[in-house]
Amino acid sequence: MIAEISDLHFSYGPIKALDGITLNLPEGAVGLLGPNGAGKSTLLRILLGFLAPQRGQGRVLGFDVRLEQAHIRRHVGYMPEDDCLIPGMDAVTFTAYFGELSGMPRQEAMKRAHDVLFYAGLGESRYRLLETYSAGMKQRLKLAQAIVHDPRVLFLDEPTSNLDPQGRKEILELIQDISSKKDIQVLISSHILSDIESVCSEVVILNKGRLAAQGKLSELRELHYRVYEIRIKGEGERFAAKIKALGCRVEETEDNLIKTYVPAEMDIREIFNAAEEEKVQVRHFVRSRTSLEDLFARAVGVD
Amino acid sequence: MTIREKGYMHWDGQLKERRFPWAPITWLGIRLAFKKKYFRFIIFSSFVPAVVFLVGIYISERIEDFQYMLRGNKQMLEVNPAYFKAYLSSDFLLFMMVMILVVSGAGLISDDLKHNSLQLYFARPLSKGSYLIGKANVIVFFLLLLTLVPGLLFVFFKLLFAGNFGFLAAYPWLPLSVIGYSLFVTGFFCAYTLLLSSLSKNRRYVSILIFAVYLFSDILFGFFYENYKKPAFALLSLKENLQQVGAWFFRLKPAHDVPWYWSLLILLAFGVAAAVVMNKRVRGVEVVK
Repeated sequence: MIAEISDLHFSYGPIKALDGITLNLPEGAVGLLGPNGAGKSTLLRILLGFLAPQRGQGRVLGFDVRLEQAHIRRHVGYMPEDDCLIPGMDAVTFTAYFGELSGMPRQEAMKRAHDVLFYAGLGESRYRLLETYSAGMKQRLKLAQAIVHDPRVLFLDEPTSNLDPQGRKEILELIQDISSKKDIQVLISSHILSDIESVCSEVVILNKGRLAAQGKLSELRELHYRVYEIRIKGEGERFAAKIKALGCRVEETEDNLIKTYVPAEMDIREIFNAAEEEKVQVRHFVRSRTSLEDLFARAVGVD
Repeated sequence: MTIREKGYMHWDGQLKERRFPWAPITWLGIRLAFKKKYFRFIIFSSFVPAVVFLVGIYISERIEDFQYMLRGNKQMLEVNPAYFKAYLSSDFLLFMMVMILVVSGAGLISDDLKHNSLQLYFARPLSKGSYLIGKANVIVFFLLLLTLVPGLLFVFFKLLFAGNFGFLAAYPWLPLSVIGYSLFVTGFFCAYTLLLSSLSKNRRYVSILIFAVYLFSDILFGFFYENYKKPAFALLSLKENLQQVGAWFFRLKPAHDVPWYWSLLILLAFGVAAAVVMNKRVRGVEVVK
């Protein structure tokens, strides 16, 4: 288990950032999703001990977030969202420095810095001054400093921001490699749903400081609803209203495709019955794979 | 730029709980300062007074040999507590200390604020106190190198040149005064620099502030003192306050007729302000309420 959180509350003045969150983050790669202001960053900061929760309990790798922050930080690697560097340093010194601050002996930290910089794809430029790095290189550097001390858990905050498509693909490959083959648990907070979908097997969706959904992606897709794409001939509005009344969520696309979210317990024959009642012809009826966007939209109640 | 030229390997060592978790921060600060050419120039120039005073100690023990040079100004080379105070609170040395702070101290916290690196520090098993001690020790290292080390070397060489312990017998408390005053000046300048460094994200502004506050306070004192001739205006000047407290450490009469403890209180106020501001500004995350 990466973390166990129970009834966690945190407010910035009058604004509630986390409102009684209870969840368990299992091992593997977990995606943390939510719209802006959902409380993702606050949750990460509390788990790292940057912020003290006002109420509730939290444990990371079995260590208490209030009392055992040093232990947590020793075993967790953190890659922040913002660009972080120390001017006047090269990548090797920078990475080794943070290894040393994590508790590694100086020589070991230096040796390890070379290894992780090669791994992150900065081998050739490891002696260049950090000020001269591109945005993508800074992103890789942040990943390198996060794994230099061989953490048991990695917290990645928007790991693919500022990257071009190729750079994004490579970083995602690295994260996938780390989480699947290296026995390092990964918690990724991201706005880019496709990134989460490609790396994580489990997602946590937060909305307005509350837990909106949690579970394995495959289960969430299966259990809650199915998505069908329907094309009809006839009066579409009344048909849509009818199936909405049956408990489905309906979205119409520009090319007159009706995307229908059907609750798990509903029999799809009811859709055909509705079509018959409204005298419309169903010309296309295909089950669509539930994307993370669908799941996300459903969980947070937005389109 | 290809990735995974080398595969990820687990590290088989053991992460240790450091006795001095701030040590890497201090060493990095010192290394980065020495990388700057102009810093090296300033620090070596700052040793000029120490060499001159050391030569003075040598001459004081060979006064007969240098009679022709002194021409009756023997009292100039009388090595006593005033001689030590003259070195440790000389205008030139204090000015060079400020220059060192401008070059090596201004960016200590402001650079971390500007480049968002505080969150990287605090994502490590490092407390705020250790972080600040690490940063402060960079200043401590350079300033003690200019105050405590020469001060104690002066005592040592005085005894060496004299060939007896007469000097120490006359002033047994002097080494303690040297240590006390060196630590006090260093402590004040630490608080002063870190306070200003944590106020802005721009190292240049901080550099200007460090220099300007010190200089302006002295100009202000000069202006009021010349016009009103009241010694209390000495309290406006950081330099004069340091010299007033220095006089107390060396058991001398202060240059201005103002109680030394007022100066001490003013300088300590910087320490309190520094503690309050740093506690607010140095955080793993910026909390906007």
